[in-house]
Amino acid sequence: MGNWRGRGDYWDYYEPAQPRRVKDGIKAKSERGGIGETWWSKRWVGVLESFSLGTRLTRGRSYARQGQVISIDVEPGIVKAKVQGTQPRPYAIKIKLKPLSDNDWDRVTEAMASQAIFAAKLLAGEMPQDIEEAFDAVNVSLFPTAATDLDTDCSCPDWANPCKHIAAVYYLLAERFDGDPFLIFKLRGRTKEQIIEVLREKRAGTSSGESPAFVTGAEDATDAAGPLLEENLDTFWQAAEALNTFAVHLEAPQVDKAILKRLGDAPFTIGGQNMASLLAKAYDAVDVALRKEVEE
Amino acid sequence: MIVLHANWESLTPGKLHIWAETSNLPVPRRTGTNKKQKKEQDKQHHPYALDHEALKAAVEEHLETSLLKGVDTGTLTLRLPSTAKGPHHSPELILEREDDDVRPTEFQSWEVATLALNPKLALDLLLQLPNDPPHGVAFGSSLRFWAEAAKFTFGLLTKQSFVPALQEFRRDNAPFYRAAWEAVLVGEDDERMHLLSTLMPAICWAHVSPSERFSSLPQAMLSHFINQTIDAFVRENLSEKDLHPSRRSNRRSAATSLAEQWLPALAADDATATLRAPAEELHGFAGDMQAWLNQLQPVAANAPFRTCFRLDPPSEDNENGSAWQVSYYLQANDDRSLLVPAEKVWKERSSTLTFLKRQFENPQERLLTDLGKASRLFPAIEESLRTARPQDLRLTTEEAYTFLRQSVPLLEQSGFGVLVPSWWQKPAARLKVKLKVKPKEDAKTGAGLMGFDSIVTYDWMVAVGNTTLSEKEFEKLVKLKMPLVQVRGQWIELRPEEIEAAIAFFEKKHSNGDMTLGEALRLGLGQEQSAVGLQVIDIEGQGWIKELMDKLTNSRKITTIESPSTLHGKLRPYQLKGVSWLAFLKQFGFGACLADDMGLGKTLELITLLLHDRSAQNGASQPGPTLVICPMSIVGNWHRELQRFAPSLSVMVHHGAERLSDEAFREEARKHDIVITTYALALRDKEHLAPVEWEYVVLDEAQNIKNESAKQTRAIRSLNARHRIALTGTPVENRLSELWSIMDFLNPNYLGSGTDFRKKFGIPIEKYHDASRAESLKRLIQPFVLRRLKTDKAIIQDLPDKMEMKVFCNLTQEQASLYEAVVKEMIEKIEQAEEGIERKGLILSTLLRLKQVCNHPAQFVGDGSSLPGRSGKLARLEEMLAEALAAGDKALIFTQFAEMGSMLRHHLQETLGCEVLFLHGGTTKKQRDAMVQRFQEDRRGAPIFILSLKAGGVGLNLTAANHVFHFDRWWNPAVENQATDRAFRIGQHRNVQVHKFVCVGTLEERIDLMIERKKVLAESIVGSGENWLTEMSTDQLKELFALSREAVGE
Repeated sequence: MGNWRGRGDYWDYYEPAQPRRVKDGIKAKSERGGIGETWWSKRWVGVLESFSLGTRLTRGRSYARQGQVISIDVEPGIVKAKVQGTQPRPYAIKIKLKPLSDNDWDRVTEAMASQAIFAAKLLAGEMPQDIEEAFDAVNVSLFPTAATDLDTDCSCPDWANPCKHIAAVYYLLAERFDGDPFLIFKLRGRTKEQIIEVLREKRAGTSSGESPAFVTGAEDATDAAGPLLEENLDTFWQAAEALNTFAVHLEAPQVDKAILKRLGDAPFTIGGQNMASLLAKAYDAVDVALRKEVEE
Repeated sequence: MIVLHANWESLTPGKLHIWAETSNLPVPRRTGTNKKQKKEQDKQHHPYALDHEALKAAVEEHLETSLLKGVDTGTLTLRLPSTAKGPHHSPELILEREDDDVRPTEFQSWEVATLALNPKLALDLLLQLPNDPPHGVAFGSSLRFWAEAAKFTFGLLTKQSFVPALQEFRRDNAPFYRAAWEAVLVGEDDERMHLLSTLMPAICWAHVSPSERFSSLPQAMLSHFINQTIDAFVRENLSEKDLHPSRRSNRRSAATSLAEQWLPALAADDATATLRAPAEELHGFAGDMQAWLNQLQPVAANAPFRTCFRLDPPSEDNENGSAWQVSYYLQANDDRSLLVPAEKVWKERSSTLTFLKRQFENPQERLLTDLGKASRLFPAIEESLRTARPQDLRLTTEEAYTFLRQSVPLLEQSGFGVLVPSWWQKPAARLKVKLKVKPKEDAKTGAGLMGFDSIVTYDWMVAVGNTTLSEKEFEKLVKLKMPLVQVRGQWIELRPEEIEAAIAFFEKKHSNGDMTLGEALRLGLGQEQSAVGLQVIDIEGQGWIKELMDKLTNSRKITTIESPSTLHGKLRPYQLKGVSWLAFLKQFGFGACLADDMGLGKTLELITLLLHDRSAQNGASQPGPTLVICPMSIVGNWHRELQRFAPSLSVMVHHGAERLSDEAFREEARKHDIVITTYALALRDKEHLAPVEWEYVVLDEAQNIKNESAKQTRAIRSLNARHRIALTGTPVENRLSELWSIMDFLNPNYLGSGTDFRKKFGIPIEKYHDASRAESLKRLIQPFVLRRLKTDKAIIQDLPDKMEMKVFCNLTQEQASLYEAVVKEMIEKIEQAEEGIERKGLILSTLLRLKQVCNHPAQFVGDGSSLPGRSGKLARLEEMLAEALAAGDKALIFTQFAEMGSMLRHHLQETLGCEVLFLHGGTTKKQRDAMVQRFQEDRRGAPIFILSLKAGGVGLNLTAANHVFHFDRWWNPAVENQATDRAFRIGQHRNVQVHKFVCVGTLEERIDLMIERKKVLAESIVGSGENWLTEMSTDQLKELFALSREAVGE
């Protein structure tokens, strides 16, 4: 264990045969180019990539894409993962991020509470663009900035640290952060619930001792199949009277392509263009067709 | 006839099965009474369903569609209500068979041949379906349901309410995925979809086996249909390169990501292609796609409260400068008036906020989550989130406008509450023009100058709400360069395109000039886009135009005229009002359509108008002749009514082989007050009619000119008329092609060309039930159409419970020849006949035969020949029944002749397309009871009931009827009244109209007159039947039976 050792290109000459294939491994969604769609996951990846790991980086990426990673568990302050390499036993990987002290957290949440946007964006599933400001204000950092911020370990025989197995896990973590930005906080030692609770207290002015559970919206009422439709001899052929006056309004949308605007950017791009902008043409084509139909 | 049905099979892709029942197949042989055998077979062929070939031919022919070339065929097994004899028919199918009174007792499976339409074809066919089925076809409730569903889908497409999706399916428990387009149903659309699903008739799920049915199946099936048809429509109109033009080049690249597979699959013709990738990868892709598409889920859909934004304009006291303000609230979902200001929310320490006795769980998180989401839709929100406890947002006027135009719809669609100022989206808050119209100054006022074509001087004013703006005021507003401006305290929206239009309008200085009165009315009443490019909000008249406008839009302001002394009869108050209205429109040179319900006396009102004209003129210059054009069957009726109510008017009936032509006609016509002719002759004799200057051309049963391109219609429109009037009893406002034709005859060009009219009103109103178009059409026609309903007690208070009227019909040429032959034969024979039995028998048989001739030649000859166009009575009966049915009325028809009743039943079923019951001597008690029940049932029951006078006399209670027709006469008032009283019994709430048919100029009319004259004798002499006729002398008989010239109507 220890800090990241210097350059390990030398060791790469001993790259053994292909790793054993894993059935149902965790695969990166991204198949080419970079990994991570959101700015915060890119930020996370950027830290790793800034360390000039050379081929270990590309190998790690292809491990991530091939599905060599068997499991990832994120716990406060630590990520535990299993990666299948060339040996029969999967390697055990740990990535530790230095947790913030309670005192630091208190100051960070204080800074976050001063602007509602932090909580609002986090609750909406987004990382606020300037979240780092809230951390900078109290001289701590959310994302690792230096090698010393990360404590990594792998049970593989490779001397280099981070090895390609760690890199693979690191990449997959980036994709996890895409979907759940709170994971980064978890790594820094606080759960989403804890942060939200503290933020509420700070907004209200004083701290309350209670810690009620956070409810993430009502459960969807599951669609009960309900009773079977009965056969009815008397009304079998009858449509309700209202069918004769059922009105249909043909109107243009209030806002053009409102659906795409509400969807926002897609987590997919093709040839550098976001999926959402590619789809816009479908709505135009349909508009043209409808105009023709109506004129006929 | 055939009845078309439709069943949707929820496959991928879905299939719309069209199948048909027919009434023309023979009753099938009952194969195997052996029940066991039946059970084993389980599925049996539906005996009355058309087979594939006949079905395709029938659909193509009747729907005049070429869509079905190469369409797939299929079969469907349906569980249908059945009797021991087989499947019970749908109520739309009118059977020729008599034995259909058995009620179904159980469900059985039947196999039908179908046309299996793919989703695109289904959508096309359903959208093309005419509103009213063509002759010989009825649309089953299932087909009508899916047609509505197709229109609903079309509405979603026009609103862009569809989204690409990734659909997950399972085969052997392994998931696979397809790219597809789906509907997005939020807010009102969702509610409408749900409403529509509740209207689905049970036949629609008859192909789903009972074990696979569940209570929300209608909704699931409808939603599947909508998604499938949307998917098909979008694919049809999209090519792969539309979506991703650059893809072609690297088509063969080895590693295509799932996103790159998904995108072109959305445009591919094959909707069933599955995405290919290892399971885990697919799973991941599906998850990401779902997460993205979940952005469309309304926020807080199931939560008890949601975030609400309220926009307020800058306050009056200018405390906040000129800033607009968006404030944040939590809003209770079940009580939208309950709003908790953000300030209160932030103050809450615990996770539960209590406000007005309501509890809000986790209010801060709700508000924060929503604000975070909303900031994507309206980025300015983000600024406000820079504070610890954001409560509101200040906006400049431009920002407020962007918020209103762009963000409000997005926020609403996303499930947020939005409260905007009440003036927003209101017509009053938009730039409009007001039309000021005054009589042209240099024109002398006089009746001759008024009318649709009279020239008026107009003045356009730019207006906001009720305020008109001068050019200077307007310029000042434009200089502000603001999308929202305040005019005298009132906020209005200034759209750039409208400002441009207004500027161009002032620059060109065409803000005043001359136009026709008709154009001014169309612009003002229709509130259309004007030539100016702005919507016309109002029309303001000066001088006589002001008076005209007042009365046109409010007929109560029209001065009631006095009933002319020359009228033999008394008008009811509403009738006098009707005449006054006609006189008012005439005075201003407008054509009028009197569309009162049948039986309210339209003919009498028109006659009174003609008398009024003559008394008002004081003999100064008598008006020219009036031409009345009506169907052949009522020429006699017109003649009789004129004679009865207005003996002072001279009447000329223009019909028959010996009718006048050319100069002789012209001269004769000018000598008469009224010339009556038929629609057919209006075309055939157009060169004789055209040179006459008619004071009025009156169309009775004006719906006859519904075909705008017909020669007959064109001939009538080209007649030289000072005034035009149309009479009709059908609800014209519901039959738009008729309405247009009639209006275009009355006031040419007022409703624009037929094509424009169909596009603007016909299709939106008839096909899509567009209420706002219907409203604007109503505003346009309201001044020129007077329709009063007999049920409208506010207008018609003095209608008696029972109204009896004679309906005078004419004979056709064929009937007249037969009639004369019968009379001739009788006269020859009677000279030789001995007194007593032989003579008596001869007279009675002649009487019988003449009655048959008056009814219908086919009844007289008894050869089963075709019915249409051969009897004046039948034609009139058809017309009157059509009107009654259109008004939702029910009718009894009495005849003495069972064979006539049977002929009527088949013919009326065929032509009117509704169920007709027939009670005769051979009807069993059980059948009779079933018929009475069918008739008395609300709405859905049979609307027409024919009874042979003999069979129908006993104890029946048929109060569902409010029309009674005596097709032929018993000449015994007591018997006829007894029959009439079937309808007029305890339980009858409406007034009943009794129509007694009499052929003009025949023995029918003469006997009727004799009875009328000798009412006292009627009971004693006539009461015993027709025997008294046999006591008449030969000369008397000759006179009685002779056919007068006026009898023939063609």
